[in-house]
Amino acid sequence: MINQSLSITHPADTVSAPSGHYLLSLGRHMTILIEKHAIIRNIGLLILLSCACIATLAIGTMPISPKDVIAVLLGHGDAMSQFIVQDLRLPRLLAALFTGAAFSLAGCLMQTMARNRLATPGIIGIDNAAMAFAVSSVVGMGISLAPSAMALAGAATATALAFGLAGGSGTRGYRFIVAGIGIGAIAGAVTQLLLSQVSIDVANSAYPWTVGSLSARDPFMVNLLGAGIALCLIACLLFSTQFALMPFSDQVITGLGANIRHIRILALVLCVTLTGLAVAVAGPVGLVALAGPEIARVLARYRGIPLISSALTGALVMVLADLFGRTILSPIELPVGIVTAVVGGPYLIWILIRRTSRTSL
Amino acid sequence: MTVTTLHQQTSTHFMKSRLSADNLTLKHGKVSIIEHLTVSLPEGKVTAIVGPNGCGKSTLLNGLSRVHSPSTGAVLLDGKDIHSLPSKEVARRLALLPQDTLAPDGITIEELIRFGRHPHQSLLKQWAMDDQEAIQYALHAADLIGLKDRLLDTLSGGQRQRAWIAMSIAQETPLLLLDEPTSALDLGHQIEVFELIRDLSRQGKTLAMVVHDLPSACRYSDHIIAMKKGEIITQGSPKDVMTKELVRELYGVECDLIPDPMTGSPILINMKRVRN
Repeated sequence: MINQSLSITHPADTVSAPSGHYLLSLGRHMTILIEKHAIIRNIGLLILLSCACIATLAIGTMPISPKDVIAVLLGHGDAMSQFIVQDLRLPRLLAALFTGAAFSLAGCLMQTMARNRLATPGIIGIDNAAMAFAVSSVVGMGISLAPSAMALAGAATATALAFGLAGGSGTRGYRFIVAGIGIGAIAGAVTQLLLSQVSIDVANSAYPWTVGSLSARDPFMVNLLGAGIALCLIACLLFSTQFALMPFSDQVITGLGANIRHIRILALVLCVTLTGLAVAVAGPVGLVALAGPEIARVLARYRGIPLISSALTGALVMVLADLFGRTILSPIELPVGIVTAVVGGPYLIWILIRRTSRTSL
Repeated sequence: MTVTTLHQQTSTHFMKSRLSADNLTLKHGKVSIIEHLTVSLPEGKVTAIVGPNGCGKSTLLNGLSRVHSPSTGAVLLDGKDIHSLPSKEVARRLALLPQDTLAPDGITIEELIRFGRHPHQSLLKQWAMDDQEAIQYALHAADLIGLKDRLLDTLSGGQRQRAWIAMSIAQETPLLLLDEPTSALDLGHQIEVFELIRDLSRQGKTLAMVVHDLPSACRYSDHIIAMKKGEIITQGSPKDVMTKELVRELYGVECDLIPDPMTGSPILINMKRVRN
């Protein structure tokens, strides 16, 4: 009966993509679905991001026209422009791009995993712990002894603690968050305590680690972060169908044949790597992890897990925040972390007020 | 030979079955919910699991569907320990419809049903003819064709439950476990869901469901498993197991049973709470 009506209404000899998707067939057995909306969204974000990048390279104490910026990027242009763009502004731009993308992607992953839009690496204390470890190395040695590596170690420690205190598998998002908030508070207090116990010069040298700044970052760490993001994005694409299941209950996820523990551990490892590397470059600029994914979700009309879009919006927010911080009170530079906090704080309040009716918060 | 025949007559455990629990103990933290339980689901039949709140019905269902890992014993799917099989492999044979129906935001019916194809898909095989056909079939079977582009949040409880069942149908598993599929549904929607379950059974699926309503359990199942305090009190065909004594033992309720004039399945009347 049902089969009959099926054959009448759907002669279906050919496979057609489900609505809103492109079907990419590679040979007979390889088929990949690509969401149309995601393509448009991400191309749009890429264009915006490119514009923001060119603006960042152009604007400064010594303005350079966008045309000259593009010329320099293509390998032309005069020596002066080349020096300013490539040696002075580009490294900082890359740091902004990478840290923004990393924080935001980590935020999206953690929010998805905890099924809670407030669960960002910053809120659960990964940022603070990374900062505390970095500061302790600066303060403890009087010189910067690999504070970047210490930041990574701090991120991993905080996550392991939050995960352990939340009861292993961390199936309940809020336990994880509450444990994380506690760890973050302790790490923040340790940082303050350390800074109050040392001479003003040492405290000053540790200061950039506590506010989040993009000036004069370690180029090696920036490159490492870039490579880290590339790897993490590839992992996100490879496991995108599994990540897409995360909003379901544990029972449904298991019932559909996905290994929930493996997905969680993978997401957690990606979060720690991205956040740790990003803090090692720029210090705690955690609010990007909250704002980036939220903007991406709005653009995605609250559908699916917009991992790639989150990376792009995070990069965009960070680039713009740094541009703003550099120019608004020029020649004084505002650290990017302060700009994101000033913009992100009210933004957080706005989300809380605007979407209280939604269950996902 | 004789021994086998004898066993088949006396114990349902030796009935032909694809899914069974052997000496299964399930714990929540340190508390045992089910201890050393052995049970099997008769193949091609609808099994109803009944019992008072907290008797371990849902826990048993979660155990049978490998959501809850056993402390002792094992769940056997086609003779193999379910936890030793790849999860996707299990998901192609066994589907679970839990009570908790948390879904992604802004999802349409068709998108929800598409998730049912997850175990049949892989990174490089994300969409094929069989996916398309299975989804069409599930939409038809659950009578959701006209609603397929509606958002899940905007549906009535009955429609939403049908959408979840359709997702399990699209999974195309020979075994389907349902945890209180009709709870929170009105009478019309309850009957609708039960009849859908019956249809699925006629197509050869093996189903097990946790049900609270005893007359419905009798009417729409072939086999009843009655549980109390984590133990199976009795099991068998509805006509054989459903007695006044069982109702009293399970729920502390005194009643009379009369056969439904149309179907012959037992109906409960004159129900009264027994005071110890």
